[in-house]
Formats: sequence, C-alpha cells, structure tokens
Amino acid sequence: MSTELGSTDLAGLPRLLQAIPAQGAMSLAEHLDVHDYPPLARNRRERRGAAALIKRIEQAGLRGRGGAAFPTAVKMRAVAGERGRAVVVINAAEGEPASMKDRTLLQALPHLVLDGGALAAQAVGAQEVILCVAESIAREGPERAIAERHEQLGAGAPRLRLATAPDHYVAGEETALVNHLGGGPALPTFTPPRPFQRGVGRHPTLVSNAETLAHLALIARHGAEWFRELGTASEPGSTLVTLSGPVAYPGVYEIEHGYSLSSLIEAAGGATAELRAVLFGGYAGSWVDGQLLRGLALSDEHLAAHGASLGAGVVLLLSNDACGVAETARVTRWLAQQSARQCGPCLHGLDALASSIEEVASGSARGKTRQRIARFASLARGRGACSHPDGAVRLVLSALEVFAADFADHAKHGICDACRRPGELPLPTRPLPSSFPQTP
Amino acid sequence: MSLLLAASKGPSIYWYLTRASGAVALVLLTMSLALGVLDVRRFNTVRWPRFVIDGLHRNASLLALVFLVVHIVTTVLDSFVSIPLSAAIIPFINGYRTFWLGLGAVAFDLMLAVLITSMLRQRIGYGAWRAVHWLSYACWPIALAHTFGTGSDASRTWLLAISIGCIATVLAALLARVLPARSARRLATR
Repeated sequence: MSTELGSTDLAGLPRLLQAIPAQGAMSLAEHLDVHDYPPLARNRRERRGAAALIKRIEQAGLRGRGGAAFPTAVKMRAVAGERGRAVVVINAAEGEPASMKDRTLLQALPHLVLDGGALAAQAVGAQEVILCVAESIAREGPERAIAERHEQLGAGAPRLRLATAPDHYVAGEETALVNHLGGGPALPTFTPPRPFQRGVGRHPTLVSNAETLAHLALIARHGAEWFRELGTASEPGSTLVTLSGPVAYPGVYEIEHGYSLSSLIEAAGGATAELRAVLFGGYAGSWVDGQLLRGLALSDEHLAAHGASLGAGVVLLLSNDACGVAETARVTRWLAQQSARQCGPCLHGLDALASSIEEVASGSARGKTRQRIARFASLARGRGACSHPDGAVRLVLSALEVFAADFADHAKHGICDACRRPGELPLPTRPLPSSFPQTP
Repeated sequence: MSLLLAASKGPSIYWYLTRASGAVALVLLTMSLALGVLDVRRFNTVRWPRFVIDGLHRNASLLALVFLVVHIVTTVLDSFVSIPLSAAIIPFINGYRTFWLGLGAVAFDLMLAVLITSMLRQRIGYGAWRAVHWLSYACWPIALAHTFGTGSDASRTWLLAISIGCIATVLAALLARVLPARSARRLATR
C-alpha cells in the first residue's frame, strides 16, 4: 500500500500532520520551528503545577485514539491519584493490520508524540516514559529522536526509553503491553488490577495511544478552546484515519470528527471501483452497507446509528468485485489465529465461528448455519480476559446483516465468482512469535 | 399475602417449594457433572463446539446453585420444623434428621468450594483449581444420598424416576471419563 499523507482542505487542518516531511523524520530543530517548545516544567515549582494539564485535557474533551475512545483526562487523573511513582507508556504497537496512523506518526513526526509523552508524564507525576513500537517497524527513527531530545531537552524532562512489542494482534492491548514491558509474555491479563493501579514494574501506569498523546501535545500548547474549534460537541478535534481499498490514494488522512465519508474519498482521489461495503474501526470492527455511503459522517455518534464506530480510525472500502462472505471468513479465521489462546471462549469460540463462516463461504454448510453462527457469536461475546472475542463477534454479526443476501446465496449455491479472486482485505502473513502459547 | 395464608394451614407452600427446588437442583447438578465430563473428554461436534459445552456446563452449575438457594431458604422458612440457616452450611449441628440433613450441607459446601475456586482461578492457579474441582465427583453422590435419606419423597415414583435417570446419566458419564483413557493405555502398552 502506498501511503498518501494528507488532510482534507478544511480550514484549521492539518494539525498533527502539519509540515509533515515527504520522506524520513522531522528533526527536533524542525519540529521546534513548526510547533515551538513544548510547555514542559523545568523546576520544582513548575512541576507541582503540571497537573493543571489534566484539567485542560478534560475541557478539551480528548478521547483515546487507540480504539476504545476512553476520556484521556479520566485515565490521567486515575494514574495521578495512585500512590507511588507513575510510568507513562506510549502505545504505538498498532497490531491492527488496516491501521497505519501510529507508525506514520512515529516515523515522520516522532517529536510530537514524544512531546505528548513527556507532558503527560509531568502531569501524572511520572519520571519515565516508555515508547513502545511494533517489532516490525524500524527502530532507528525513534531511537534517533530520543537521542536528540536527551541532548537538547535533557535537564528536567522525563527519561525516555524505547521498547518493542511483538507483532501480534493482542500485544497492543494495554494489559498485554504492560505484562510484556514487565518481562512477561505480551498477552492480556485479567483485570483488575488495571494498569493505572498496577502496571509496569507494579507502578501506576498511564498507557496511551501515540496519536492521543500527539493531540495532547498540541492542546498543552494551544488550549482546550482551540482544540474544540474542529469536530463536534461530543467528539471535538481532528483525528487520523487510515483509508484503504479501491481509492486512488489510500493512506493516512487527518480529518475533523463529523467529516463526511464521501468527501474523504474525494480527497483521496475518488473511488476506483463501485463500493459494496465499508469496514469501520478495524478488523474487529463493523461492516456498513455501501449503499449508505453517501450519508455517512466520520464520528462515533453518527456511526453508532449504523452499529459501527471509528475505533482506531480505520476506514476500509470493499469493492463490488469482492465477496463479503469470503472476506469475512478470511478475516475471522485470522482473528481466531490471533487469539492469545488463554481463554476457552476465545480459543474455541472464534475457531468455531471461523469454521462456520468458512462452511458457508465454500457452500458445504448444512442446516441452519446462519442461526448457528449467530448463536456462537452470542455465546462468545463478553467472555475471556480481554475484548478480543467481542471484536470478532462484532465483525461477524455486522457481516450477517450487511451481506445477508450473499450468505443466503452461498448457503444455496456454494462459492461465487467473486470468491475465486484473491482476497481484497490485506492480512499479515507473519508467523506468530515463538513466545506465543501453542494450542494445547 | 397468599404466602402467609398458605403457611398458616396444613402443609405450607414452602414445603412444596423445598421438595421441587431440591429435585430440580439434583437434575441440574447431574447435567453439570455430565457436561463437565464431556468437557474433559474434549468432546465436540460442529453444532456443539467445546466452548458451547463449556458454557452450558457453567450455566447448569450456576442454575443448580440458584435452585439450591431456593431449596435452603424455603427449608428455613418452613415452620414445620425449626432449621436454622447455619445448618445449611455447618453440617450435623441440627437435631432434625441430623445425618441426612448434614449430608445436604456437605454437598452445598462442596459446591461453594468449587464455585469460589472457579471464580478465583486466575489468582490461585490451574493446579489448585483442578484439585478442588475434583470434589464435584464427591458432591453428586452426597447430594443423592441426602435426597433419599431425608426422605420426604423417597418412595414417590416421580422422584424415583428422576433419580434413576440421573444415576444412569452419571454412570454413563463416569464410563466415558474412565473407559477411553483405559483402552487408550491398553492400546499403548500392546
């Protein structure tokens, strides 16, 4: 996928992607030229006042951009309220195969993210910031950025350190990340305790998505009012989306919340095929019928009416030439393979779901497979340590609705013409890391 | 109001409820045991994958506990004999049918132990959880002995029919638990 970087032509944009270099990373000097110095506390008195940032973040209404859209100020306040020295983890693990925004930020604009990490650390009283990136992305860029900061911003700023997370889907889940950074396997753990209570090295830990912290860095500079100039009342500000599928320029775009999907597609050079459906949120997201496309706005509030959400900002277009049943079968099988294999309902439930959809896709289904899929979905939902099964269930249930006619056709006539073509949705083919538990 | 009225004359509604909920709990306990064995045997089909059997095992067990609570509360409320709530938990402290009632308390305690360790499985570790879960095999016969020993309906055909069904189910489950393992071992040594 060629990554186009852009923003829509709206006044006030781009914010995060401002002056993004066409190649390589923006140096610290260039970054300070564009955005000026981050308002970091330099002495003890200033450090005592740093918690005031939490109030500003609350007024700005910033929500997490990692998928769950949790209010960032609530999380920060919880960490700040715990006893003991806190730790900040910048989550750029980005295990979602259809999302590119966090690696884009890290590779092109590392200092905006690191500003956010440092400012958040001072606000919650942490002295250590761990930047956690996926193993598959080059370490040199982030390493150089951290070295630049230690040289030029050194005294008084929180310590920065780089860590990597394995390239599997659940590794970016916050308890998995904390478990991994503490020396354990990168697998989700049961909560409580949540990371804000007991995280890395048993310290209260703020785990925040890389894009969220980049927004935080700008709010600290420009204020809550400025942040709210874009977006909607309930979802203020701009957001990064990864647009892929049949458009002229797929890539990472910065939009304001509430922007229309058809305008985004236009900004990306227009669709190159008829669109059958859109997958929102990521592979653990929801399908929405392509016929609704014209009226869709990119905000959680609006998408909720169609049973979808922006999640980590993934907007995946599916062309009319693709088979929704076959695509859903491939993605469900992949999600089943990505299970951490710790909890029965996830390990056996997602496998059973994937098998049932594969049966429909291949036309070997007998009896009421559709009802069986819906039954399995309802039994796997809400179970296990993390929400991985819930994500897969969301995808499957939305597919049953959006591709209802295709499911019925497949059950009757078996594979369709579109099935014979290679799958459209990109799936990583990396083998699972050896630290991963094997099927018992 | 109607409950109070009923309680004042003849056999109370609590007495009926006690017997009915006891019988239902026995059936659910039997289901739970049989499903648990299927789970251990890794039984699964396309329509009944392991996580569905597992979920059913769990729900049957929890429902059995609900009916047990009804069974206990109605027993305590029934004014025919005075049985304190403590007798449902501490075995053999009550004067009325001390031994057979005590067995009921033992079975209830075992179920509570299995429930609590299942809820804490992440904390106590798999080994400890499994050791306590083995107590389920003791729980069922004790509950059955309590059913007949206490004796309210021991000679009734309906309870006899239900019990024979339960015994047959558990025997089949135990055979399924033991036999394939043994024949597998025999095959391996041959």
